[in-house]
Amino acid sequence: MRVVDAKGVGKTFGTGSESVEALRDINLTIDPGEFISLIGPSGCGKSTLLRLVGDLTGPTSGELSINGKPASQARSNRDYGIVFQKATLLDWRTVKKNVELPLEIMDIEDSAAADEMLDLVQLGDFKEHYPWQLSGGMQQRVAIARALTFNPSLLLMDEPFGALDEMTREQMQQEVLRIWDETETTVVFVTHSIPEAVFLSTRIVVMSPRPGQISDVIETGLDHPRDVETRESPEYYRKVTEVREALRRQEGHG
Amino acid sequence: MTDGVARKTGRWALLSPRTRKNLSVAGVVLTLILAWELYKLIWSSLGWIRPVRPDDVVMPHVWDMVIELFRPVRRGGNLLILDLLVRSLWTLREAVAGFVVGGLIGFGLGVLFVRSRLAERAFMPYVVASQTVPILAIAPMVVVWGGAIGLPQWMAVAVIAAYLTFFPVAINTLRGLRSPDPNSLELMRSYAADPSAVLWKLQVPSALPYIFTALKVSATAAIVGALIGELPAGFQNGLGRALLTFSQQFAVQSKKLYATVIICAAVGIFFVGMVTLAERKFVPHRETLEPEGEMLARASAGG
Repeated sequence: MRVVDAKGVGKTFGTGSESVEALRDINLTIDPGEFISLIGPSGCGKSTLLRLVGDLTGPTSGELSINGKPASQARSNRDYGIVFQKATLLDWRTVKKNVELPLEIMDIEDSAAADEMLDLVQLGDFKEHYPWQLSGGMQQRVAIARALTFNPSLLLMDEPFGALDEMTREQMQQEVLRIWDETETTVVFVTHSIPEAVFLSTRIVVMSPRPGQISDVIETGLDHPRDVETRESPEYYRKVTEVREALRRQEGHG
Repeated sequence: MTDGVARKTGRWALLSPRTRKNLSVAGVVLTLILAWELYKLIWSSLGWIRPVRPDDVVMPHVWDMVIELFRPVRRGGNLLILDLLVRSLWTLREAVAGFVVGGLIGFGLGVLFVRSRLAERAFMPYVVASQTVPILAIAPMVVVWGGAIGLPQWMAVAVIAAYLTFFPVAINTLRGLRSPDPNSLELMRSYAADPSAVLWKLQVPSALPYIFTALKVSATAAIVGALIGELPAGFQNGLGRALLTFSQQFAVQSKKLYATVIICAAVGIFFVGMVTLAERKFVPHRETLEPEGEMLARASAGG
């Protein structure tokens, strides 16, 4: 069964002369265990597409099913873990309590889950710290642990490393790949960084703006596990170039 | 000379923040007393009478006000300070009862308004309008109605304190409940959280700093409400009555009025202090621990 199946999905904000068409005729399928990046210039609707998948907003046309059911049903079934660019941790809760928040809300009794997730993101020593005592990268790792603590089948990440410095960013990419490998979750990842998309993804969905459309889908085909060596390999460079050219072709058209 | 200054600032920096704060407060109080006495001294020696005549009726010495506290209220009566402390308890009871009821009503309105735009649109204008009516105009009515339904007098006064309390609490609760980051609300949505979970796990904790700010404002407002409410109530036991009596006798006993004002201020400060203590307990403060912050940054760079 497909994790994501979008047929002719469109999204228009507002009505009448004020309306803005954010997405038009999106056809996309995502299989279990894939790591999909959505990339494109600002205004291409990549975040909107992610939000449609996560049922944070509804499509205005087309059909969208998640794990074979409507997105709203998938949300009620708690199929989604979401990570935003901002960690949005709750200041008054310790790191561990933050990670336990989804479990509390879902009435899941699992005292070990938070500890496991914090070990997974290598923050086992910081359970009793408060968010504001952590660096930006560490906060984002807590956000990832929180998103995974209830074993969602689909992890949605909206430019999660956009606010981090380059060094931390590369570290976090490595971490995310390891976590993806260990948890076998399907990931949809929004980014505007070409190297990041190539390094992380199994497939890259290239989008073009006004209205947002899918212009190319590129298989990366790089071997796993990926590490620093991968970043220096010729195949990696070739893919980076391929994505860059796909993005540049749009400018020619637009 | 410069060496001496450097040593002094050095010592000041060595004091704990708490001690420094206490010393600053004491400094302000001492400065005010000094200004009062200096004015009296200079104006009376130069024979000036404007803007305020510096005689012992209009401007008694500060120490005379304090000494007055330890004289009998009337011949053979209790010490003034004992009388005023008993009265303070009455007034505090009215204020605290009104504060608690008003605070709960304010919080409830905030929750109602954040849940329902319709309720906000329907009731908010009246909530705002309620505060534009002068409290002095409402107080006698409340007292009359309270008497008509058999409410004890102090409770009628508490209603007036509640009337002044609920408004800031309602407005700030509403603002605080709306303060969470939109992404936090979206996360709640993605957990399929029900509205009460969103309220108690996200919105109310986010609103606490706002609510406590309102409660501190309301604490003083509740005292004012109680003092004012006592006047039309003809309530004999509270500080409001003492203020009224001593102001009528101002020409002969101005020191008693000043002494009472000091006690009223002390009651207000005490009440706000209690609320501040509660705030410290319930609202976690971000401590900026520089050394530990650096340590953590290093640890994360290493890991």
